[in-house]
This record gives sequence, C-alpha cells and structure tokens, in this order.
Amino acid sequence: MSTLFKASLPCLVALGCSCAGSADPGAFRSYLESEPTSLDPAFAVDVSSGVLCSLIYERLVRPGDDLSIEPSLAGGWEVSPDGTVYTFHLREAYFSDGKRITAGDVKHSLERLLRPDVGSPRGWVMAPVVGAEGFRSGRRDSLRGIRAVDERTVEISLKEPFPAFLSMLAMPSASVVPEGRARAAAPDDRRDPICSGPWVLLEWTRGERVTLARNPRHWGPPALDRLVFRIIPERMTQIAEFEVGNLDHLQIPKSDLARWTSDPAWRDRIERQVDLAVVYIGLNNRKPPLDDARVRRALNHAVDAEAIVTRLMNGTAVRARGAVPPGLPGHDPDRPAYRYDVSLARELLARAGYPDGFRMEIWYREGGGADQVLEAIQAYLKDAGVAAVLRAREWGTLKEAINRGVPDAYYLDWYADYPDAENFLYPLFHSDNWGGGGNRARYSDSAVDSLLEEASRVVSSDERYELYLRIDERVYKDAPWIFLWHPVTSEVRQPWVRGDVLHPLFYGQRFTEVTKTGRSGRDAG
Amino acid sequence: MSEYLVRRLIPAVPILLGVTAFTFVLLHALPGDPVLAMAGERFDPEAVASLRSQLGLDKPLHERYLNYMGGLLKGDLGESFVSGRPVSEMVLERFPKTLLLAGAAMLFACVLGLFAGVLSAARPGSIADKVGMMSTFVAVSMPVFWLGLLLIFVVSVKFKLLPPSGYGGVDPRYLILPAVTLGAGSAGLIARITRSAMLEAVSEDYITTARAKGLSEVRVMVKHALRNALIPVVTVMGTDFGSYLSGAVLTESIFGWPGLGRLTLDAILKRDLPVIEGSVLFMAIAFMLVNLLVDVSYAFIDPRVRVEERKGES
Repeated sequence: MSTLFKASLPCLVALGCSCAGSADPGAFRSYLESEPTSLDPAFAVDVSSGVLCSLIYERLVRPGDDLSIEPSLAGGWEVSPDGTVYTFHLREAYFSDGKRITAGDVKHSLERLLRPDVGSPRGWVMAPVVGAEGFRSGRRDSLRGIRAVDERTVEISLKEPFPAFLSMLAMPSASVVPEGRARAAAPDDRRDPICSGPWVLLEWTRGERVTLARNPRHWGPPALDRLVFRIIPERMTQIAEFEVGNLDHLQIPKSDLARWTSDPAWRDRIERQVDLAVVYIGLNNRKPPLDDARVRRALNHAVDAEAIVTRLMNGTAVRARGAVPPGLPGHDPDRPAYRYDVSLARELLARAGYPDGFRMEIWYREGGGADQVLEAIQAYLKDAGVAAVLRAREWGTLKEAINRGVPDAYYLDWYADYPDAENFLYPLFHSDNWGGGGNRARYSDSAVDSLLEEASRVVSSDERYELYLRIDERVYKDAPWIFLWHPVTSEVRQPWVRGDVLHPLFYGQRFTEVTKTGRSGRDAG
Repeated sequence: MSEYLVRRLIPAVPILLGVTAFTFVLLHALPGDPVLAMAGERFDPEAVASLRSQLGLDKPLHERYLNYMGGLLKGDLGESFVSGRPVSEMVLERFPKTLLLAGAAMLFACVLGLFAGVLSAARPGSIADKVGMMSTFVAVSMPVFWLGLLLIFVVSVKFKLLPPSGYGGVDPRYLILPAVTLGAGSAGLIARITRSAMLEAVSEDYITTARAKGLSEVRVMVKHALRNALIPVVTVMGTDFGSYLSGAVLTESIFGWPGLGRLTLDAILKRDLPVIEGSVLFMAIAFMLVNLLVDVSYAFIDPRVRVEERKGES
C-alpha cells in the first residue's frame, strides 16, 4: 500500500500544481453558504439572495459604512416639512441592456412588492405608502402614493411621517428593475435579469457558483472585472479553501477564531465588527409564570451573560443591554446591565410566588451551534431553581412553533432588515406584531405601544433616537427576553486584497472599491 | 430475458405509487410550513395567505395529492415552490453529477476492495491479511464527515496536492477526494466480504482440481475463486451504489459537490415540497434500477444462476 501511495504521489503533485489557487487578479473570490433562492428582489428574503440582489440592482439609497443613508440611484432627495412626502431626483443611470432608468421603473419596482399577482412576502416595506391597502387588495391599478413626476423625479407620499422609511428603501427588496416585467428574474421566463447595479449577472451554475461581472454602464463601476461567489455550505471547507488561497476573504467561524488571532501571519489581517443583530432567549409573555415581569427579571439576573460572552465565546459577541445594537443611533452604551445575582433572582422568584422555582422548556434550532452556550444558560438557571429543559428543533418546525407561541421560551436572533433602531423595537415589541410580525415573545405593554407609535412619526432625528433609547430601556427593564448578546463577525483577508471592508449589514458591501495586488493564490502557502 | 425484465418491472409500479403516496403524506403532515420558510423573518399575514393559495396549499390534502398524481402521470413533477423552476429540470441537472461521483466512488471501492480482499484471502493469517483486515475495519467504521475533512486538511491544505472542494466534471483533481471519502466505507466492506467469500471458495474441490491441473496461483485465485466469490460482493456493490445515488448528502456538502443529495437537503430545509417529492421519486427509481441491474448481473457472473430459474421464484 505504501509503495502504491508513494508511486502515485508525483502524479498527484503534478495534478495539484496545475490547479491550486487559480491566480486571477481580475476577480474577487468570495462564497455563499447556501444557494440563493431567487434573483428577483421581491423574493430575496434569504441572505444569499439579498447579497446578490444588492450587487446587481440599484436602490434609490444605500446604507453607508457609518450606517447613515447615502444617495445611490437617487442623487439627492427632499423631505416635506411634515415628513410625509419624499421627492427623489434620479441620477443619469442605465440598465444593463442600455435603457435609461426612469422614474417609471422606480414606481414599477416599488409597486411590485405590493402587487397581488406578484405575491412578494416583502409587501410590508411599502405598507407606509398612501394607498397601499387598496392597491394590494387589487382594487386599484396604481399605487397612489408613488408618482413619477417626470422622467427623473419620483415622489413618494406616506400616510403619516415615518422617517425609518428612508432606510427601508435601502433594502435589497426595494431594488430597481425595468418596467414591464412582473417578475424581475422569473425562472419561468428564462431571461437573464436586467441589472441596474455596479455588477451584472454573468453566470449562475446551480449548486456551484454565481459569477458577476463589472457593469461598465454603471456610474461608479467596480475596479475589478469579476466577482465570484462559490457556494460552500460547509464551514470547514470554507476555511480550507481560504487557506489554500482559493478564496480572497473568509468569515472566521466563532469556534475557530482563537487560532487565527494567535497566528502572526493572519492576526493583522482580521477585521472585526459588531453585527446589527441581537441574540436572545424569548420568553412567552402570555404563559405563566413568564407573564410576571418579576419572574422574567429574575431569569435575567440568574444568567451571567457577561461571563458567557468573555469566557465561552472568546470575544465573538458583546453583551446586550437592550435590543438596539451598538452602532445604531438609539443604542445606549451606558445603560447598566442586569447584575448577575443568584440570590436576587431567587428572591424575585419567591416574591412572584415561585420560591421553589419552576420548569420551562427552551426550544432552539438544531445544528445552529448553540448547544454549548445553552447548556451554560441551563446551568445558571438551575442555580436559581429554574429547571430549563433544552429542546432542539429543526428550523422550519421551530419557526412555526414560536410563531404560534407554543414553547415557553426559545433561543433566537434578530438581524437588521434596515439600519434603524425602529427595526429592533417596533417589530419585536409592538403588540400588533405578535408571531410572524416579529414579536414572538408576545410582549404587550400599552405604554411601549404608544411610545413606539409616537417615535415612528417623529420627524426630528435627535428626538426620535432619544425616544427609541427610552423605549429600549423600558423594554429592557420589563424583560420580555433574557437579553444575551450582539454577535461579532471577524473577517480575514488574503494579503493581496485591498479595499474590502466588513459592513455591519449583510447587503451593505458593494465590492466596488476592492482591488487585488495581482499575487497568485499559490503564493499564500 | 425481456420477459424477465417485464416481470421484474411490473411490481415497480405499486412500489413507486407507494413511494409517492408515502412521501407526499409524510411531507404534508410534517410540521414546518413551506410558506413560512419562504416568507422570511418578518412578514404580513396577507402576503402569507396569498402565497399559500398561489401554491395551492390551502386546498385539502387529498385534492393536492390528486393534483400531484395527475401531473405525475403526465410526466410533470411540478414546480419548485421557492424558485418556480420545473422540478424535473432541477433534478436532471443535478443527477448526472451525483451519478459521476457515485460511479467514481464505486470504482475506487471495487478496485481497492477486491484487491485487498483477494490479497488477504490468498494468504490468510499473514501480516498482509491482518493489516488489510485492520484497515478495512477502520475504513468501514470511519464517519464520512470526519474522513472528508481529514482528507481536505491533509491532502489539500497541508500538502497542497488537490483542490479542497468544487466541481470539475470528470477532472480527477476534483473527483479524487470526494470519491475516496464516499467510497472508503464500501471499499472496506467489499474487501471483507471478498475475503470471506474467497476463503469459502478456495476450500471447494474445483480449486484443488484447478491447482492440480498446474494453473498458476494468480489464475486460480482470480479466474476460479474470485468469480465464484463475486455474488455477495456484487450484492454489496449494488446496495451501496444505490445508496450513493440518494444518500451522498454529507460528501456533497463537504466538497461543495452540486449533486442531488444537496438539492434534496436544501429543499428539505426550505420545505420546498415539490422538489423533495421529485428527488425522492427519482432516487427510488434509480435505486430500483440498480437493484435490477444487480439481479441481472448474477446470471452473467454465475452460470448456475439462470434467468429462467429466477423466473420461477418471483
């Protein structure tokens, strides 16, 4: 056997040399963890589709690196003093087929999200627009609130002031596609999508890779010629591909971070960024004893989230002191966190009538990598007398069960759809949004409801953020969740990569500034 | 022969009917709403309701099943809930890739397994036999997942001999690692079965006769003993090959191989029912065909097994 192996070695080496690290200075090589479901922005609800849509389609505005909303297809805009009418001025821009992008295209694209024959799950993005209900129900042929004033001016009227609307227009769902197609990249019509973004779709080999090419018609075309996304579901395989130089960057799996940060070769090439996300254990606020705020607070005091973050998660998360993550206006970095105090937790439980604790089930996603932290949480809860039973459930099953309010508690996260504190408070805590709307804890507080309604209408930014800060604080004290942490993403890059930045939103990176210094992948070793 | 094939194919009809009915009912009864999987984390109930009626999921189960079967009889596997593409197209685009991987894995398993098995049987109790059987034991019990990652890290990352993952058609650079990973278990099993079947065969009188005729040992072992030992080996090959066609999910995931297993897994995670139903049906057909092929091959391997005889059995 060993001779056979030795004999085959040179031939393997010969094979290997011709392929390792396909040196391609014109292409940036990235990856996606799963196959995109659709390149139609109206159906892009998963991360892979969102990433691709945000690259091949333009939106009126886009999220800047500091999360402020920046001009994109709209070179500028005005908001009426009462905050209900937005007037966007389109810049001179073209689709990949050479046609000019007009106000009519924008109207069509945004209307599509509400059109009954399209059936987009993202209709809620356009819900604040005047006439949304009538249009969605099919009673009207046109969405009254969106008007193409002239070729290059779009006017959007909202039912009431809603400043977060501008950030919602930065979402991939609000992408601009040409007028005249009900479905932008409909699989049944087999046409390639007509792109408006800095990249265009070159090829999509199912299950394998998606290749984008530079859109020369774009007003800010990318520096590189191509952007290749290989579909690599396995984390360990992603690492291997990066290590041999076949990928230009890598998001380091949390379990593997220590190895990279201690390696002098990679240490300085790692960028870290707190995600616009929050991880929590949602408590079913309708189910006794969790309907008692004292019990919920007791659980927050019982779990030493700080210790889990520092010792177990090795800096791959920062502790949450509310739902709004750092980086968003409305986040309060100085808010005191729940103190880890078992006797206080026991005392609160006793006052609520549970001196001997109680039993509850925590459901979580199977294979989500949360087992270790959940076991730690289980142990903390046990110290306080609460017997937590962990139940792993397949993702689809879990989602359905928590939308219906079945489990006592569930471990879940919430990633920003758009960069605004509103996105972390209104869907998650307003009583109108129980279940699939986002408020899966079935939390209800009339004061929070009216504060949320008030905040969403406030036009002055300072006042608005101040209100969100107060709402976040109130909710935190009321403890509808066990507040855990905000995840931190760490990305490592090959030495030949320049200009790649980690954006806090998954659809924020446009890869237009990225360049490569032309070194081949093989030199990486 | 053709009469035999027809007789063998007739029971396939109720089996396939059973498979479709069972998969359909099971999938539609399982928790996990396909519409919720498509709607994302935040959705409005109106959109979900309209999506549900668009997909026909608001109809009662028996009606949905009849619609599905009606389509099936016309050769229409339906369209994916998620992408809207025809399921048959999705399955046919992935199946050749799975077939290629399964074929390469089986080739590897046969070559290595038969070689090791014959070698062990030729000198039972020798060092070669002990080492061989020990390694086959390891091969059989090694989890695919672990072996795959081990190969990637040793062969690709450490020695940079082959690319860690990806699909390259028949290009051996991309085929070797996944084929070895997938085929290792079968190689071990084939080696062990070949060895025991060979040991049984060499104790037969005709081997003594062959040796007495002065035939070379290689000829005795390969031409006479091996041929008679092949029936159980072919059975194992057939079963394993059939399972490769449907169950290579792990290998396909580790090596980013765009095969049928991954398509099915993705579809399960997204509750894309038509794709799951279509893939399962396709896998069932493939499995039955492989089994039929194995049965037919018995007749060619062993002249004593004649198709005519088997007719009587069924």
